[in-house]
Amino acid sequence: MAQFRYLRYFTKRYPLTVTGAVIIFLVVMVSLAAPLVSPHNPYTLNLTDRLKPPGSIYLLGTDELGRDILSRIIYGARLSLLAGVGIVGIAGLFGIVIGSVSGLLGGKVDQAVMRLMDIMLAFPSLVLALALSAALGPNFRNSILAIAIVKIPVYVRLVRGQALSIKERQFVKAAQTFGAPKVWIISRHIIPNCLSPVVVQATLGIGEAILIAATLSFIGLGAQPPAAEWGAMVSMGRIYLLDQWWYASFPGIAIFITVIGFNLFGDGVRDMLDPRFHN
Amino acid sequence: MSGLKSAVKRMSQLLIVLLGVSLVTFLVSHVVPGDPARMLLGQRADAQTLENLRHVMGLDKPVWLQYFDYLGGLLQGDLGISIRTQRPVLSELLTYFPATIELTLFAMGFAVISGVGLGLLSAAYRDTPIDHGTRVLAILGVSTPLFWLGLMVLLLFYKHLGWLPGSGRLDSFINPPTQITGLYVLDSILTGDWVALKSSILHLILPTICLGYIQLATIARLVRASMIEVLEQDYIKTALSNGIPRYRIIYRHALRNALIPTVTLIGLTFGELLGGAILTETIFTWPGMGKYVVDSISFLDFPAIMGFTILVATIYVIINMVVDLLYPILDPQIKG
Amino acid sequence: MKKVLVLIISILVLTSLAGCAKSANTPQESATTQDKSLVIATAADLGTIDPAVAMDNSAWKISYPAYERLVNFKGSSTEVEPGLAKSWSISPDGLTWTFILEENHKFADGTSLDAAAVKYSFDRLMTIKKGPSDAFPSLESVTVVDPQTVVFKLKTVFPAFLSTLATNGGGIVNPAVMKEEKDGDLGQNWLANHTAGSGPYVLSEWIPEQSLKLTVNPNYSGDKPKLASINVKIIKDPSSQRMALEKGDVDIAENIPVDQLKELKSNQDLIVFNTPSLMVDYVYLNTQKPGLDNPKVRQAISYAVDYQGIISSVWQGNATQMRGPVPQGLWGYQSDLFQYTKNLEKAKSLLQEAGVKDLTLNFMYSDNKAWWEQEAQIIQNNLSEIGIKVNLQKIAYAAQREKIDAGDFDLTLGVWSPDYADPYMFMNYWFDSDNFGLAGNRAFYKNDQVDQLVRKAASVNDQAQRTDLYKQAQELIMQDAPYVFLVQKNYQLPMRKSVQGFVFNPMLQDMYNFEMMNK
Repeated sequence: MAQFRYLRYFTKRYPLTVTGAVIIFLVVMVSLAAPLVSPHNPYTLNLTDRLKPPGSIYLLGTDELGRDILSRIIYGARLSLLAGVGIVGIAGLFGIVIGSVSGLLGGKVDQAVMRLMDIMLAFPSLVLALALSAALGPNFRNSILAIAIVKIPVYVRLVRGQALSIKERQFVKAAQTFGAPKVWIISRHIIPNCLSPVVVQATLGIGEAILIAATLSFIGLGAQPPAAEWGAMVSMGRIYLLDQWWYASFPGIAIFITVIGFNLFGDGVRDMLDPRFHN
Repeated sequence: MSGLKSAVKRMSQLLIVLLGVSLVTFLVSHVVPGDPARMLLGQRADAQTLENLRHVMGLDKPVWLQYFDYLGGLLQGDLGISIRTQRPVLSELLTYFPATIELTLFAMGFAVISGVGLGLLSAAYRDTPIDHGTRVLAILGVSTPLFWLGLMVLLLFYKHLGWLPGSGRLDSFINPPTQITGLYVLDSILTGDWVALKSSILHLILPTICLGYIQLATIARLVRASMIEVLEQDYIKTALSNGIPRYRIIYRHALRNALIPTVTLIGLTFGELLGGAILTETIFTWPGMGKYVVDSISFLDFPAIMGFTILVATIYVIINMVVDLLYPILDPQIKG
Repeated sequence: MKKVLVLIISILVLTSLAGCAKSANTPQESATTQDKSLVIATAADLGTIDPAVAMDNSAWKISYPAYERLVNFKGSSTEVEPGLAKSWSISPDGLTWTFILEENHKFADGTSLDAAAVKYSFDRLMTIKKGPSDAFPSLESVTVVDPQTVVFKLKTVFPAFLSTLATNGGGIVNPAVMKEEKDGDLGQNWLANHTAGSGPYVLSEWIPEQSLKLTVNPNYSGDKPKLASINVKIIKDPSSQRMALEKGDVDIAENIPVDQLKELKSNQDLIVFNTPSLMVDYVYLNTQKPGLDNPKVRQAISYAVDYQGIISSVWQGNATQMRGPVPQGLWGYQSDLFQYTKNLEKAKSLLQEAGVKDLTLNFMYSDNKAWWEQEAQIIQNNLSEIGIKVNLQKIAYAAQREKIDAGDFDLTLGVWSPDYADPYMFMNYWFDSDNFGLAGNRAFYKNDQVDQLVRKAASVNDQAQRTDLYKQAQELIMQDAPYVFLVQKNYQLPMRKSVQGFVFNPMLQDMYNFEMMNK
């Protein structure tokens, strides 16, 4: 009962954050239960039922090969979640390693690393992601890798800042004078201490990551057919926009709602954990 | 540190960053699978001709030598030859440059004016529906897929309502205004070409709104935050308690101080807009650099893709440096 | 703040005064539009239009009407008729061709077109040695006898020779382009976006990614064309093309997807030109790859594909299933040749006979043709029905071509249309084992008997004998199934009803007879 009251209080106090959490929960559930909840097989062709408008058999209509758009959107949730989590995961991991090593070692290494990060930040993120993704070869995995690489500097800067301040603390200085290996200092002190800001940053970053991944797929650099990926579906649907409006519209709405969910939730988490951003 | 000295320091940092940028684009374009020589020659060329061209293009040299060739070329404004069109990339980019700049400037103007306005409003009416409204708008702004928004806007205003044109910079039966700057709106004003002016403004509306909308929200939030910070300063509170009207305080004192941090954002916004232009131009068939680069991708036209990347990065870095240098001039407090 | 405003205003005033540039849309100019102009919407800007370099029909659409050739394709037929050459004679051994030029042909700059210009053009073509020169595999030399007589010497008999002279590469270039030569490029850079011919039109404007304009060549020797100018507008987005066509902003729209043509047909102001073409769409099976090196497996694949499904969905009925490699409408086509139809039982038993299980194949394609993505997905589905797992792999067009050339693929899609009216364009390019890779034999198919037959057919002039040789080869090929022969597509072109006189020639796919057209 007490827990329930707490939940109600929470919902009232942070309505947007809770909305975000609910959206994320739904998207995750739908993607896990995709085979159970999708009315059709997302990959089965039905050439006689191509480009059918939304109706009772196909709730959101069909695409140019007669595949059910609703089912494809449901399966698409898996890819988008994978992209979002994968990107911040890879970028966060590399960010932690590079940032903590750079911060702890300082000197020339630190200088060089930070210069490199400056160089990467000299590109607008979509432009660099696009160039990298094109060079790696257009497929879903490479597009995730490309976006993750572009996002690494964000985490490196964050972790390095933390590492610099932790380095000055008494217990780390003491450990160093006793000859503790650097690996030990990093894994024992620096990483645990910078984990929570990284997690906040990552939560905030998932929405944007999903958006960029869908954007690359839209341009043709991400997921490839027949994959049921939202950005790719909008891209194909664009050809049919004037006569078959449903094809491009619904997958876009799916992206929109999912990203809103992560952004609302991320905003809330940041506000709660980081008093500086409190209103 | 004197202003000159810091400027020199910034310039040398800029050079290092640009050198790095060129290294990145070089590396990226040299790990590609496609063979540029083969592409230029077409399908039925024999091995000997191919070998000759590879030699002429320097593709048979060691990689580090190729980088120096590349860098030397860059310094002379040589971004290579486009594989798709077989014309110099720089001159191609420059022909599309005005279209992109025109769109970006309009989107920037739209985003800054309405962003600052909304930011001020929500700071002035803090915690009212107006404030909540801009907050929601901000969240929506960073959550909307730009490419999808463009399509929906097209569907509504072009297909269903038929109010606005949805592609290109001008109606196809109208001649472009005589070229002076390449910005159609400016050129048609300069030459008194009202037909072209009307058409080009109508064509700008949809892409401008789509591109600007995403940035609008970010600017509004920042203006709001810095405005609230300023309004809580003691001198403002004193002024208020002395009975000076609130709108005058906001206009005279708070606004100026609150806008200073916004200036830094403009540099960043410009980069985002150049990135966003890739999508907006694709959706609205806007003949700018963004559409050019998307068209180049399917041809694996690496000189074109990398030329665009390096040009955009250079513009972005320079604008951010200019903003950094302007900052102390605008804000006397930061002089160090 | 005020200072900035004053500055901006004064700059505006100054430039407008100093420039005093003329408005491009002055009322007078728009009033004098009696000169008829045809507007065509196309999806992509063109590459080079140099006849010795360009290998792409969309570029030929500009260069073909800007140049003249020794012979021309006659109307919509595959036959040739006199062009610059009013007559010709052949030596008994078939190796020496003497052409007599018509008089009074002039280049756009007023200089007259003589035998020296013909020699110059072919020497230039063969020196540059890019794609277009491949149409003249046996050309040895061109010599000038007198200003109206020119002699072509061939190394070996090449029966299609006369027909190849009508290709875009055979266009006669004004030797004056040498004035524009840079670094020994024979004027390639200049001709990439200029024309220097004697055809009915000249390229007078090219705004990259926006538009091209052809205007009438004042020195053209033929009847004055009725259309004073041709405007080609680059409109990439199919929906925008469609709107422009419906509004009347453009007269012809080239890139409207088959799916939308139905809607257009119901529009009173539009017609959709629809005629069979010689363009075919087919799948290359890499016959060197494990699994695919077994003819039974290749036959099984040919039996698994849903030809009728592809025709009714992707093509909306505007295509026919290929019957062997040579398309209907070109001599050498065999109306009674064996044809594969979807038969899953047969396909499965063939796989069983071959002893192949759990076969996984990569299917590579690019976005060079909009319909490939649909076809690839349908074929992927079809093959899964007989237990072959297919991984789709979409790559850039450039990379696709490179991998085809290197034989680095299992399955991939291609289109082919003949540049001259001879089955050589299909049989020798596709099946001669000397042509592995991009050259044409993209299945890396080698059958000694077929090699002998097609080579023999290419070295004799007698058409009946050649037809028979090609027929024997085709029968062997159908059993070996190195390609999946999908469809021969119709040429469909939506245009305003007011457009008159358009004649489609299958050798000149995506090109126009502007000088005969009107609106």
